Amino acid sequence: MDRRNFIKLTAITGTSATLASCGNPEHQLIRFVPDEDLVPGVAEWKPSVCPMCAAGCGINVRVMEADVETTRSGQAGVVKMAVAKKLEGNAKDAISRGGLCARGQASIQITYHPDRLTHPLKRTGARGTGAFKEITWDEAIGELTGQLDALAASRDQKSLAFLTRPHRGRRTALAGEFLKAFGAPAPIAYELFADDVLRRANGISFGHEQLPTIDFARSRFAISFGADFLGTWNSPVAQSVSYAAMRQGRPGVRGGFVQVESRMSLTGASADEWVPVKPGTEGVLALGLAHVILANKLRPADAGRAGAAIDGWSSGLPDYTPARVEQLTGVTAKTIERLARTLVEQQPAVAFVAGPPLAQTNGLFHALAVNALNQLLGNVGQPGGTGFTAGSTKDEGRSLKSDTLASAKALLLDGANPVYDAPKAWKVRDSLAAIPFIASFGSFIDDTSAHADLILPDHSFLESWVDSAPESGSMDAVPTSAGPVMKPLYQTRATPDVLIEVAAKLKTPVALPWKTAEDVAKSAPAAASAQSAISNLQSALKYVAPAFDGEASQYPFYFLPYASLQFGDGSSAHLPWLQEMPDPLTSAMWSSWVEINPQTAERLQLAQGDLVDITSSQGTLRAPVMLFPGIAPDMVAMPVGQGHDTFTRYASGRGANPIAILAPATEPETGTLAWAATRVKITRAGDGDGRLIMFGGEMREHPHEHETR
Amino acid sequence: MSAASSNKLTADLLRPLLETSWRFYALVVFLAGIVLMGLGTWAYQMFNGFGVTGINNPIFWAFYITNFVFWIGISHAGTLISAILRLVNAGWRRPVTRCAEVITAFALMIGALFPIIHLGRPWLFFWLMPYPSSRLIWPNFRSPLVWDFFAITTYLTGSVLFLVLPMIPDFALVRDHTTGLRGRIYGALALGWQGTPKQWHRLESAMSIMAIAIIPVAVSVHTIVSFDFSMAPVPMWHSTMFGPYFVAGAIFSGIAGLIIAMAALRKFLHIEAYLHPVHFQNLGKLLLMMSLLWGYFVFAERLTIWYGNGSAEIAVLRVTQKGSFAPLYWTMVVVNFVIPVSILSIRKLRTITGCVIASCGVLVGMWLERFLIVVPSLGHKYLPYSWGVYRPRPVEIMITISTFAAMALLYVLFSKFVPIISIWEMKVGEQETHETALQRTSRVLGELHP
Amino acid sequence: MAHKWGMAVDLDLCTGCGACVTACHAENNIPTVGPEQAARGRAMHWLRVERYWEGDFPDVRLKFRPVMCQQCDAAPCEPVCPTYASHHTAEGLNAQVYNRCIGTRYCANACPYNVRFFDFFNPQWPKPLHLQLNPDVSVREVGVMEKCTFCVQRINAASIDAKAEKRELKDGDIKPACVQSCSARAMAFGDLNDPESEVSRLSRSPRGGTLLEDLGTLPKVTYLERQTQV
Repeated sequence: MDRRNFIKLTAITGTSATLASCGNPEHQLIRFVPDEDLVPGVAEWKPSVCPMCAAGCGINVRVMEADVETTRSGQAGVVKMAVAKKLEGNAKDAISRGGLCARGQASIQITYHPDRLTHPLKRTGARGTGAFKEITWDEAIGELTGQLDALAASRDQKSLAFLTRPHRGRRTALAGEFLKAFGAPAPIAYELFADDVLRRANGISFGHEQLPTIDFARSRFAISFGADFLGTWNSPVAQSVSYAAMRQGRPGVRGGFVQVESRMSLTGASADEWVPVKPGTEGVLALGLAHVILANKLRPADAGRAGAAIDGWSSGLPDYTPARVEQLTGVTAKTIERLARTLVEQQPAVAFVAGPPLAQTNGLFHALAVNALNQLLGNVGQPGGTGFTAGSTKDEGRSLKSDTLASAKALLLDGANPVYDAPKAWKVRDSLAAIPFIASFGSFIDDTSAHADLILPDHSFLESWVDSAPESGSMDAVPTSAGPVMKPLYQTRATPDVLIEVAAKLKTPVALPWKTAEDVAKSAPAAASAQSAISNLQSALKYVAPAFDGEASQYPFYFLPYASLQFGDGSSAHLPWLQEMPDPLTSAMWSSWVEINPQTAERLQLAQGDLVDITSSQGTLRAPVMLFPGIAPDMVAMPVGQGHDTFTRYASGRGANPIAILAPATEPETGTLAWAATRVKITRAGDGDGRLIMFGGEMREHPHEHETR
Repeated sequence: MSAASSNKLTADLLRPLLETSWRFYALVVFLAGIVLMGLGTWAYQMFNGFGVTGINNPIFWAFYITNFVFWIGISHAGTLISAILRLVNAGWRRPVTRCAEVITAFALMIGALFPIIHLGRPWLFFWLMPYPSSRLIWPNFRSPLVWDFFAITTYLTGSVLFLVLPMIPDFALVRDHTTGLRGRIYGALALGWQGTPKQWHRLESAMSIMAIAIIPVAVSVHTIVSFDFSMAPVPMWHSTMFGPYFVAGAIFSGIAGLIIAMAALRKFLHIEAYLHPVHFQNLGKLLLMMSLLWGYFVFAERLTIWYGNGSAEIAVLRVTQKGSFAPLYWTMVVVNFVIPVSILSIRKLRTITGCVIASCGVLVGMWLERFLIVVPSLGHKYLPYSWGVYRPRPVEIMITISTFAAMALLYVLFSKFVPIISIWEMKVGEQETHETALQRTSRVLGELHP
Repeated sequence: MAHKWGMAVDLDLCTGCGACVTACHAENNIPTVGPEQAARGRAMHWLRVERYWEGDFPDVRLKFRPVMCQQCDAAPCEPVCPTYASHHTAEGLNAQVYNRCIGTRYCANACPYNVRFFDFFNPQWPKPLHLQLNPDVSVREVGVMEKCTFCVQRINAASIDAKAEKRELKDGDIKPACVQSCSARAMAFGDLNDPESEVSRLSRSPRGGTLLEDLGTLPKVTYLERQTQV
């Protein structure tokens, strides 16, 4: 061998020997063979549906390859997978029309959340301590099947309860079929900000027990009674698209809009005119407008069934003169006259109501009043007015009340979190303690699933078959379904598939019309004619003052827990982008706060950030003060969404939960929680301790404009 | 002067070099400890990321830039005293010149560290230097920070020369008075100085040239530092007055620093015989003049802004004078203006102690002034939504304190190894002719350009 | 003719919903700094929705204004950067070159719009949140400045596609993440050198103006004022 070759050989062997001995075997990751065809650097776009609210916005997902750490047959390694990178609205979708809200954008973080559950789990310690161990799917399904078999054996099928959120599409239909065939009652569908009062009113007034679709794009004037239609109510993306067309979509024509509420919402900020009103009197104002129109014969008086639901309609609403309405609502008679005339002059004009007005004990009255006003204005089912999407089915489910879970012996949790978002007075946590077996399908441990005995984690929506049949948002909406945009990252399983498998494995198998989650998603919703009979009112309603929990002398402030733009009812508080997103009206991040009128704060000697105790008849919570000019001096408001005991590292133990001090007042006709009917008192609890985090500095553009030289 | 007094002078001024007490070691250890803690803190900052400071959005400059401007300001002591007083041949400068020049050199070195300390990626600071880079890109010569680089390196080079040149005869003196290793070191430093007329002549010429050259450099340095602020469209930074204002403030703080340094030396090195109350009186008069000048600048600027009523600037004015910065602002006014003017304009109070009290106040006040230029403006720019608040963190405070310790340490070490009062100049002073500065200068220049 | 990219924001349409802010985070790998750092003023919202209250209850109004880098033609952040990390491109963008930035933060001080942000620490993405990162956008390291780029990665991608298909870019081919996500269609992006483009048209609107116009920065975002209903 000559010298050159010797050197080469030594170099090669020396280097490889060195490299081979570099690093531990544990640090050498095995690269598994990918099971997809991937073109590096080239994105594919795949359709899906955003699950963050019931609007059902169609989205497109950008999918590209990435190295994913995974375990196969006990071996840790990496594999190239096509994964979701970004969500955008699908331009062709009737609801989103290419737009996507903040919660929708952030929903991709569900799939990649560091605290997402990756395997089935079985509880090892006491309930609520978070002590779980990983088990296999066979064990999990076996456990669940065993529990259901035990119920069947003791003829206790009726004690099986399935708790979910409303409007979750075909998966609830599957659950319903499963429960029916098993012999259990229908699923319980609960969410805090349910619009059931509005649906009932629409059923009474128009024969559609359904959320309305407002045609802003062709409207000349809109008056919203408390509805945060650009932020959190109903179908915000579709409504924003339509609103934009109302404002600047028609050359030379700009639709006007007035917001009537007691606390300025995100939507209220965009109004041409913001009309503060006493809480629980919004319907009175609507009828005051109707009175002016009727008295001046500006429109034909007949308002059909909607008018008949209002006591005194046929005699021209004598109890709702501008003077009387001013007395009750605080809105001046002059404003009432002016707005009424505008409604008639700017045709088509449309009115709608949602949110805090309907969360009062007299909520149904306000909804019926606004419906009557719409009928009077002649916009129902017309361009520029209020209408109802075809083909929508009513959600057949039971509602959650304080005693609903009392007789349950087994509870299946599918995404609902009532320990967090039901009032403490309903004692949901105590009910859970009395239920022998609780299983959860959710992807996270939250305040409710922390009490589960068995966890069978679902895929994230990007890994699932999804479907939507929008109840409102666009007259062109049709039911859609879409497949997974990426393969599952973990050992999770689609809950529909789990239910189907359990159904087949029961000692007495349950027959279901679907074989896979894909079948479920693609199946057509039941025909529209299955709508339940329209309930009629016993008698026409008249205005009854709202009942508030707590005497005004002891509890001087109205308490308004409002749906948060970032967290909704708290269900997206675990997403870091949303925690860090500055709240549009206050610029707060990672915080809870209570909004107080600055004059009130000065009177109570409260500075920005100071801590206060907010006390109702149900309890106390502590939060920092946020000076908020857009709220009535006798009201305080808090966003819902923080204050989780348990909800991943980003939301656990953060802030305060306003639902915890809500009184269990209800709207009598529907039985839904009247979440705006609590009164509170405020006491100073100390100087600010830094828990209020804000992105914005000064809240006025010209801070000293009122000072003279 | 007589041989006896000459020998006494030599002996007195060489004593610090030749005799060392335990107090010296204790002081050095104490100061070095603080300096090491500062260096360690800086390492901690580099390792963990700049986020360990209190800097945030929108206040992206705070303590470090304040310190930068402050120390560069202090460095103007030497120039004024040494160069100007040399040129006007003010006799009382003689014991003072080296004390002052040393302050300049060390303050510059410390000040020049801060542009590096405050960088997000300080290991790349050398990109500020114009060298032929393989990336084919030069520094952005339009940037005031690059002007800073040139200005400070020029000034540092000049000041070090200005300091070291007149040290040569004194090194020779020490060489002649010591033996062994020490003698050899000082011998090397003396560069073969034998005190021939030709060498004296060359030294004299060089010093006159440096004295003339260093003055515009000093004026331009702090003007360029002020351009770091005035070239940015930030409310109350974008001021036409900043150049002269900063130079005046620099001289002001420099004199204060000098007074304190001299008073300390006088006490600890027992050189009362050489630093007389009249020296302090004269420096005190200069300090008074600078205090009045400083007050004039501040008043002119703020009155103009108040009348102008520009909303962004008024917001800054308001927050500084009435808002959250008001305690610092009014403290600054008191210690920079009210107290110094009160003490220094009354002859009876213009003692060494009086001057030192006034000077300490001025140092505090001038540091506050830099801080109040930097932070309130950055916290209140044009869009109120983005206004913010700054709180210093331990990292910044530690590093700030350690620079004061570093200055003291360098000064103490210097006075151990080099006579702090220029011995030969003192002797010359005894014998000087009545040649005027002008005559001397033209003689020197005439000789250079026949 | 070379493109000159600009934007228009119609404040009569912007509802303040913040979808644009979240979309920007998702598109541009912007770190979530967490509550402690957010409390210390280090949150990095390249695009923010400013809110200003006017008046007092009951005559109270709230205004929103989305503010992103204005890509000024006379950008004050450019002359002050000692290393040319902030410089102007041929298509009118103010480019921030992360590799060249040494973190003097002078540009952030000089920017009157406060749209420049600094990486105070190395960004962390607890696994597997890192899988969401956009491979077309650099992830920045500690010590550098960053800001809105008008989604330059989308501009580049569209330009490359157009070049490959041998056609010109059409108005609407490029939508930055914020523009795309906005349901109220409040934002527009396009070529100011094309007089027929939507953004050119909007920039000529009588309702249009620029932010801090008197400072002479020549920003390339036109804001259309909210209208009042007569």
